[in-house]
Amino acid sequence: MKKLLVFLVSVLTMALLAAGCGGDADKKDAAAGEQQVLNLFSWADNFDPEVIAEFEKQYNCKVNYDVFANNEELLAKIQAGGAQYDLIQPSDYMVATMLKLDLLEKMNMDNIPNAKNLVSTLQAPVYDPTGDHSLVYTWGITGIAYNKNYVKDVPDSWEDLWNPEYAGRLILLNDSRETIGMALKKNGFSNNSTDPAEVEKAFQDLKALAPNVLAFDTDTIKQKFIAEEAWIGTMWTGDASYTLKDNPNIGFVVPKEGATIWADTFAIPKGAKHKELAEKFINFIYDPQISAKNYEYIGYNDPNEKAQEFHSDEFKNDPMLKIGMENIDKGEWLIDIGEALPMYDRYWTELKTAK
Amino acid sequence: MKNGKLMVAPAMLWLSIFFVIPLLIVVAVSFAGRTPYGQIIFEFTTDNYLRFLEPLYLQIFADTLIVAVITTVATIIMGYPLAYFIARLPKKWQQPGLILVMIPFWINFLIRSYAWVIILRTQGVVNTLLMKLGLIDQPLQMLYNDAAVMLGMIYALLPFMVLPIYVSIEQLDLRLLEAASDLGASPLTAFRKITLPLTMPGIAAGTILVFISSLGMFVVPDVMGGAKSALIGNLIQNQFLAARDWPFGSALSIVLAVMSLVLIILYYRALQSQEGGKADAKDVA
Repeated sequence: MKKLLVFLVSVLTMALLAAGCGGDADKKDAAAGEQQVLNLFSWADNFDPEVIAEFEKQYNCKVNYDVFANNEELLAKIQAGGAQYDLIQPSDYMVATMLKLDLLEKMNMDNIPNAKNLVSTLQAPVYDPTGDHSLVYTWGITGIAYNKNYVKDVPDSWEDLWNPEYAGRLILLNDSRETIGMALKKNGFSNNSTDPAEVEKAFQDLKALAPNVLAFDTDTIKQKFIAEEAWIGTMWTGDASYTLKDNPNIGFVVPKEGATIWADTFAIPKGAKHKELAEKFINFIYDPQISAKNYEYIGYNDPNEKAQEFHSDEFKNDPMLKIGMENIDKGEWLIDIGEALPMYDRYWTELKTAK
Repeated sequence: MKNGKLMVAPAMLWLSIFFVIPLLIVVAVSFAGRTPYGQIIFEFTTDNYLRFLEPLYLQIFADTLIVAVITTVATIIMGYPLAYFIARLPKKWQQPGLILVMIPFWINFLIRSYAWVIILRTQGVVNTLLMKLGLIDQPLQMLYNDAAVMLGMIYALLPFMVLPIYVSIEQLDLRLLEAASDLGASPLTAFRKITLPLTMPGIAAGTILVFISSLGMFVVPDVMGGAKSALIGNLIQNQFLAARDWPFGSALSIVLAVMSLVLIILYYRALQSQEGGKADAKDVA
């Protein structure tokens, strides 16, 4: 009997462990022959598969598309040996971190003539001042999404989230930098503040917001708005555009105090084996016609100025993407705050334990 | 004898490469420092463990323990009758009964958590039904609170309580109950004096499984609790994925592992002292 129990305990523990960790898909070996391979490491669903197939055909190569779920996972894998990848897609602040850790190759812009098609505001951004280690791929702004059925006064300030009418109906991004950054903006501070007094003020405000908070969420925030569980909350422009398609009552504003602007970029890790092919891929994506097709598929703002004429009216008139474009100047990038990060984490943990 | 040792070698090799070495790395990192950009510096420090003793983190640890205790007690109360029922079914129905308990494992737990969200949310199955029946006119807020977290935990871990208890009830010698009845014991007394003590090892095994599993749980608070409260599992996840503080995350993991180890040792001690002597013969057979 004891033996049987011990056996059961072991088997069930194993089952639990197995349920907890998903394995990475096996990376395919380089295809045989002279065919080149581009090892792309990116977010899930970040490209139109037809566009990738087109690139493979034109350049007679094979694209291996591996995915990561967040920037920290990307950083860990690149630090452990980035040379297995040729092209990665870090977000803005992660580009800054990787530059500080000397993990990125300088790109040869001669291979990427189409890079000049990028909107000028997105060239040489603050996290990569020389603009030659990264290029913006997708970008957007964090604003307020709300359901017009329940929120009668159109919000125009972050302050509006504190309205007691929204008790238990508010969603905040489950991300310490975004949410603390929002509260900093509300008070007129920079979303990169490292001043303890300013961050403390933002934290106290967020604590006072607790009765309104339905949930902290990043991945399924769209579903919560579509199903009208949430009435109001912080949301990215890309998600807002997606949500609007499934629930026509959704409105979106970028508050007057300004907001966080973010981007996912193209970058090449140090020691990449197929650097030139990676540059050709970037150039291919920035081709106006290809880019029009690709962004219509992924549903984000196209940063390519030359591509606008190839976009469908539906895409050009997407209200959410339009709002993003019109408010690009109100945005402030999140930069790497280095030694202040533990302070943010501490306040974030405290926010989650506050009863 | 020599051959026997050889046959164990692959398993030992496997365990040392994939269990012992990673564990040692976690221990080493838990005593290391870090740069502001998350790189680990190997200089001996106990700061990570001292930081755990701050009230903020002790509070999270206490909250986690409370959730784990409630989950364990609730799964015992719900799991014992179910296990008893299955064990007393005719032989040919016992296997299907057990399979029914196990079937949920065929589906990934994350997906089952989201299924609960669809059932319980304001436009979800339950609220829609209650509204249609006219029993309520405002949707009930059943998600994103502590009750939803408890529901998710108990749901996830109930099978881990049922199965060990089933084993101990199934192996219970029915003649002992007959004897008790013949000697005039009421069914309740017989249960209290015979069934319960003899199935205690099953309850203990289930308790260990459920308690330890709930200590490390972080999916349920995130998905069903709306990420509004932090359990120690969430705290650890955050150290690795957001705060870039692997040393502190490692230290927290080690604290959790040591806690679990202590519980398991206590369990085997208790099992030995209970079964020692009187049940030895039965076990060998």
